[in-house]
Amino acid sequence: MRMRIDEQRVADVTILRLKGRLELEEGDLTLRDYVNKLVEEGHVKLLLDMNEVTRLDSAGIGMLVSKFLTARRRGGAIKLLHLTDRSGHLMDITRLSTVFEIFEDEDAAVRSFGAAPASGE
Amino acid sequence: MANQPAAARRILLVDDDRGLRLVLSALLTEAGHVVDLAGDGPEALAMLDGGAFDIVLLDIGLPSMSGLDVLAAARALAAPPAVVVMTADDTSETLLEAVRRQAYRYLRKPFPPSAIIEVVDDAAASASAATLSIEVVSARPEWLELIAPCALEMADRIRSFVMHLEADLPEPVRESVAQAFRELLTNAIEWGGKLDPERKVRISCVRAKRMLLYRIADPGEGFDIDRLRHAAISNPDDDPIRHLIVREEKGLRPGGFGLAMTRSLVDELIYNEARNEVMFIKYLD
Repeated sequence: MRMRIDEQRVADVTILRLKGRLELEEGDLTLRDYVNKLVEEGHVKLLLDMNEVTRLDSAGIGMLVSKFLTARRRGGAIKLLHLTDRSGHLMDITRLSTVFEIFEDEDAAVRSFGAAPASGE
Repeated sequence: MANQPAAARRILLVDDDRGLRLVLSALLTEAGHVVDLAGDGPEALAMLDGGAFDIVLLDIGLPSMSGLDVLAAARALAAPPAVVVMTADDTSETLLEAVRRQAYRYLRKPFPPSAIIEVVDDAAASASAATLSIEVVSARPEWLELIAPCALEMADRIRSFVMHLEADLPEPVRESVAQAFRELLTNAIEWGGKLDPERKVRISCVRAKRMLLYRIADPGEGFDIDRLRHAAISNPDDDPIRHLIVREEKGLRPGGFGLAMTRSLVDELIYNEARNEVMFIKYLD
């Protein structure tokens, strides 16, 4: 499935819900362009919901880290939410679980940016 | 929302199951494609003669004529379509015959609706889905050997075939093998073959009682592992992303985690001296 990204804003945190494959030339460039545009607009607190990422490869992981650095250089951060077992395993074996903040609870993830979670969700 | 719609394609859907034809046709039409339907082999051949299709979705178990023969006829056309084989016949012989006759992909029935959309999207997004051929050197279930052009799309195409052959393995094993295989094959195609379809990569998949052995030989000159500062395997333990800075400096795309991942996913990873051939082993007990 081609990568789709649904966007939601909670205070100054932007939640991106990724759907589809995040692989070499299959979603990685979509993510790059989307994050670059947000960062250019000043949205640098990004939470990526990975629950519906169907496949992840080394290029997709590389793009996650690259955009993590992009956001960090602008004073922000990229954090990860709802990793699948498979994606979590890949983050572990590449030791990136020591780089990214990874959350299972969306409200806790939003709060970690210093923002209040959306009410009624 | 970022959404990348697939380009509209003309599709011939061949299946003797009328209900499935209607469901898949509705799904594909909704996705923007133009779909024609055939219920058996002769009808499919007549339609292939009369029109230029980009993609054929082809059932193998057709009445009066095998889908494999329709596949061969479709691929013999002057402008052959990409043919996706769909079948409940999950024997390795059928799969290997489909590979030999240049099927683009293989879908085992039943499959979720998303699977057909994904494979059609892949074919539609590829300019060369119908034209790039895989040479079959050996098509035994215990020893599959292929020679393929160095085009990126080959990684998913071959991975799909190979993983169907290993369908009896536990899911975690299949996932690890599939991931490792795709990472190494992508490396071979991208770095060894320079993404040049005129250059070839040779792939062997050997299934023994207690292990899987995969070998990938690329047409490149190999590499010096001590000079892979742009790969994650060179990072110090306390800095797992240092290589990305090197990649930025060199103008390389983000990545470089493939070897580090593969080492963890398989039991043995062995390169030849030049490092343009790699072998990995996954033990099954």
